[in-house]
Amino acid sequence: MSFNGKVLLVDDEPHIRKFMSLLLAQLGSPTVLEAANGSDAIEVYKRETPDLVLLDVNMPIMDGIGALKGIMAVDPDAIIIMLTSQSSRNLISQAAEIGASNYIRKDTPKDEILKSLRETIEACFE
Amino acid sequence: MEPSAPNSIDLRGRRILVVDDDRLNVRILSNILKSEGYIIADANSGERALEVYDSFNPDLLLLDVVMPGINGFETCREVKKRYGDKAAPIIFITAKSESEDVVEGLSAGGVDYLPKPFDGKEALARIKTHLQIRLLMEQQKSLVEQLSNANAAKNKFLGMAAHDLRNPLASIRGLAEFLREGVGGPLSQDQLDLINTIHDASQSMLVMVNELLDVATIESGELKIHGENRNLSDLIEKCVFLGNIEAGKKGSHIEFHAEDRHVVMYFDGAKIKQVIDNLLSNALKFSPPSSTIKVSLTRFDKGWSVSVIDNGPGIPENERDKLFKDFSRLSVRPTSGEKSTGLGLAICRKIVEAHHGHITATNIPSGGCEFKISIPSN
Repeated sequence: MSFNGKVLLVDDEPHIRKFMSLLLAQLGSPTVLEAANGSDAIEVYKRETPDLVLLDVNMPIMDGIGALKGIMAVDPDAIIIMLTSQSSRNLISQAAEIGASNYIRKDTPKDEILKSLRETIEACFE
Repeated sequence: MEPSAPNSIDLRGRRILVVDDDRLNVRILSNILKSEGYIIADANSGERALEVYDSFNPDLLLLDVVMPGINGFETCREVKKRYGDKAAPIIFITAKSESEDVVEGLSAGGVDYLPKPFDGKEALARIKTHLQIRLLMEQQKSLVEQLSNANAAKNKFLGMAAHDLRNPLASIRGLAEFLREGVGGPLSQDQLDLINTIHDASQSMLVMVNELLDVATIESGELKIHGENRNLSDLIEKCVFLGNIEAGKKGSHIEFHAEDRHVVMYFDGAKIKQVIDNLLSNALKFSPPSSTIKVSLTRFDKGWSVSVIDNGPGIPENERDKLFKDFSRLSVRPTSGEKSTGLGLAICRKIVEAHHGHITATNIPSGGCEFKISIPSN
């Protein structure tokens, strides 16, 4: 599988964006766009209509749940994977109800993150 | 609140309610008590005493037994009924110092009695003792409250700190992995060694931070079991598979034997995986290189047990009770300088107990130690 789509990567922490973009590069040659808060994420989404969004939950200005609602309002078919740091089940099920396709815990080993990304992409694009 | 010896506790300003239908008695007692710096209110009957109690909020009651209306013992019972544990201590004043009366008074909830006519010094000494006990109890209660608030704040801080440390650590570990795989270009052996060190250090720090977070969660009473029906043997298989990658680095090997491969039970998969991973990691840590760790899944009368047998030195008999407690590292050390927080087994115990199961450790006479978790099926 080679994924060459457009990905919007949203996280307020630069090291996470660095790490996740290296991970994405292992899936093929995706174009990676970045945003550091939920409000910017919605703007970038409107302008660029990416194929996939990786969305952090805890962010300043507007958090991931707010951004998820905003993006789903613009595009109900958006494919969004939540990046979580706590295994808060309420938040995960809340995000799933709003329309998130999957979630990834950022502190899982990178091979597991890759596997989970591949599965979501395969399920949504092929 | 300054700690001080009981003798030097300042009791001035403590409030005493004197209840007696004899005006002269009230006046004598009140004068003695006021000269000691106590604040005094009085009542001439049991009914009146109950009214005054509410507004005066005494620290101690001096209660005459024989009064018109409800007598002293009944007044005492009523005070106990209304105020329970918070009721002020009651000392009876009684001319009738026959033993059966004293017994009735004490069983009604009184703490002491003063025979009439009383000796001023004796009365003061007894009153002082009971006021001191009362004050110490109040102080103890407030200290316990302060300590438990401080402990809750500590847990909250620990949880927040550990939580915020986790993401950067995971990134350091992940980025080191990318470097190691040559994402940034080819590496010399020396560079590779350095990167491996960064990776291993961030990995072990991540484990420690996770354990701290677990302890904070457990201590604040937020350990929740998200149970579902799962295949326990599959879960162990997965743990053993991953454990063998780690074991390989020490030339060791983990064997798994299951009495049944389809053991479906109700449990929290992530938490039980954590327990088994922890037992496997301990078994590897404390066994010499090139060991075989034996894992088995067996039935017991109420459910299933997972046993992990290592080749380590066993648990010294005098350290046995420390084993499953927080921050308790034993004198036995890992065989290749591995790190531990001393929290792992305490966390395991709490997770297993939250599943209504139990965890045991038994030294094996021929060498090694068996850790066993037993979880009931329903």
